[in-house]
Amino acid sequence: MRRREFVLGMCAGGLATFAAPVVSFARVPGRGRLVFVLLRGGFDGLAAVVPYGDPRYHSLRGAMAYDSSDLLDLGDGFGLSPGLSPLSELWDAGELAVVHAMAIPYRTRSHFDGQAILETGLERPDGSSDGWLNRLLQLMDGERAGLAVAAGLPRSLSGDYPVATWSPVELGVLDDGYLERLHVLYRADRALYDRFEAGLQMREVASNSEMSSEMRGRGRQGRIAPVMRAAARFIEEPGGPNVAAVEFGGWDTHANQGMAGGSLDRLLGQIAEGIIVFREECEESWADTTMVVMTEFGRTARPNGTGGTDHGTAGAGFVIGPRVSRSRIVTDWPGLGDQSLYEGRDLKPTLDTRAILKGVIAGVFDLTAAHTERVFPGSDGVRPIYDLIV
Amino acid sequence: MRARVSSAAPFAERLVAFWSNHLCVSVPAKPQIAALAGLYERQVIRPHLFGRFEDMVLASARHPAMLVYLDNAVSIGPNSAAARKLARRGHEPGLNENYARELLELHTLGVHGGYAQKDVEALARILTGWMITGFGFADRLVRGRDRRDSGGSDGDVAFAYQYILHEPGDKRFLGVKYREAGEEEGRRAITDLCRNPSTARFLATKLARHFVSDEPPPETVDRIARHWVETDGDLAEVSRTLVELDESWAAEHRKFRAPQDWLTAMLRAVGARDVPEPIGRLLQQLRQPLWSPSSPKGYGDTKADWADPDSLLNRAELARRTADRLLSGTRTRPSGESVRASQVDPTRLLDIVDVPAGNPLETLLADDAIAAAERTALVFGGPAFQWR
Repeated sequence: MRRREFVLGMCAGGLATFAAPVVSFARVPGRGRLVFVLLRGGFDGLAAVVPYGDPRYHSLRGAMAYDSSDLLDLGDGFGLSPGLSPLSELWDAGELAVVHAMAIPYRTRSHFDGQAILETGLERPDGSSDGWLNRLLQLMDGERAGLAVAAGLPRSLSGDYPVATWSPVELGVLDDGYLERLHVLYRADRALYDRFEAGLQMREVASNSEMSSEMRGRGRQGRIAPVMRAAARFIEEPGGPNVAAVEFGGWDTHANQGMAGGSLDRLLGQIAEGIIVFREECEESWADTTMVVMTEFGRTARPNGTGGTDHGTAGAGFVIGPRVSRSRIVTDWPGLGDQSLYEGRDLKPTLDTRAILKGVIAGVFDLTAAHTERVFPGSDGVRPIYDLIV
Repeated sequence: MRARVSSAAPFAERLVAFWSNHLCVSVPAKPQIAALAGLYERQVIRPHLFGRFEDMVLASARHPAMLVYLDNAVSIGPNSAAARKLARRGHEPGLNENYARELLELHTLGVHGGYAQKDVEALARILTGWMITGFGFADRLVRGRDRRDSGGSDGDVAFAYQYILHEPGDKRFLGVKYREAGEEEGRRAITDLCRNPSTARFLATKLARHFVSDEPPPETVDRIARHWVETDGDLAEVSRTLVELDESWAAEHRKFRAPQDWLTAMLRAVGARDVPEPIGRLLQQLRQPLWSPSSPKGYGDTKADWADPDSLLNRAELARRTADRLLSGTRTRPSGESVRASQVDPTRLLDIVDVPAGNPLETLLADDAIAAAERTALVFGGPAFQWR
């Protein structure tokens, strides 16, 4: 039960063997990895990536406006909120592209529709479509594996290509004796044995990162860092996933967002901490790992009556990793003037999420335009931003 | 879930689960229908379990939960009286094709059932005006505005045909002309769809996949489809066929239990009269909460959907937790009365799983050195019980 490498091979290869036939294309030298971090709930891009240089920013945000001196300055009139200050390490290393005024192609203020669009990669809501990360896996050739770190299989990874899931639940009562006996039983079931072994393996990887105790303790780092640490452990294993989806909820801040040290800022602090922990835990694997952080929509430009913000349109996101060409802010800033706001209330979208995602996967996996359009069907009018990734 | 665990007619409960998933609504998708989802199952699925398929689909099409879930309640005929009035005020109301598309793709014909985009649009036009009453409340319900400000109780929500939203004129749908007939057009279209041979085939495949195996033999599908067509989708007849199929009972066709199914089977096996309290959390952890599929396609129904490594471990953990709770100490009823925990003899549980002689489970269950709770958990967390 302690044959780690063999078992993880089963996890990646054993599950993949019944996959549908795939289209071949030249394998990239080396091994690109993509981690898609979805912040569910619509995180407030204007609170995270602050456009302090916009002349309308202070009057629009009022009591919820930051002074530029509180921020990690990115230049060009933008700064990262205090909670995100741990990311300065990435910024200084040239590993952080900050994207702003970006939105999914479909105008909706519904979480469900917004997440469906972001996760299916389509232009419009489509009831039964699979996820773009799964289509990406279907396109690839050779050994590859997908992993969802989530309470269920997220839409982004659902589809014909089999992927593994790991949910950060508290595993208290699975003592070794019980697992040994179950192992004996599963050995007699040829259809399920590989899967059970892979499950044991994942559990072992996760517990090595001491996350169970950390999660129970809900220590100083909050709930995000332990999950990110576990995700990094999976990535770093031999035969680990090269496409992973990780998700965190709690971003639907309708009330009391607060400022530095407030509820949203603490959450931003947790995600920043989680990204840094992930990077440290990855060790050598970090060199070819690219992480994309996105959300289904931004929030209203003005605060609402309860110290929060409501569902809006364009927002911010991040592309992170050593493969990022250089640290910079990527935006065609629409401005915050009344005439510039979308429907008079939201940051106006000037950048399609798919332009970023197509550019990233083209760079990370060395894909042609024809390939990226198969991952994002109907996106031929959306030009990928190719120079994000080297 | 309570009904599923305690039912004296488990086959009927299995059918409820199947049809409820086939014509699913999802609460996370439209939180404003939270109070309607249970009603939907009681009013749409259960009454027609052994009735006619077209009556079930029609009931679903007219239920507020479905009208809101798939947006038919916000679909407005572009040339309707309401649209003209709204246009004068600067709005651009229009069709919402969501329900029409899923009715074709997921509820009746199936995606390869022989329809085109123009049929989706025609069906959406036909179904304009199928709305809900209590316009003020309905409006808030549809738009999901401030749910705390309830302008009415749930009792006020009901189907209503609103002619001012209906697209006037004849429509051409699936090659057939539907004369302008208001609400009647929709009834006719749904009846025609339900009697279409593609629907029989689509549902026969789905039923065979659920009751026989992930990849059912084509003869089995043919037989169910034929019977479906002969009886115009009489679900009592079709259900009887399912039970009578030899394949349904054949050992080589086994099905991996979906999470709700597995939990129900476990709770029934230990004789739990009632569902343990945190059932919602258990189903959440098993990834199949009630009325919460991530798309209108409903939950998946195959081994590939559910037998992932992490889920097997999750089940092992839940089996252990449930066995510990059921077998140790006393429980307190809501009335305050203390009762002894269920008495389960682990060796007798061998009868509820299908294992060949010599399976290690026999030895383990007979081993008195292992606590009864753990032996019980080994039955439910082990591989044999994952199959039905």
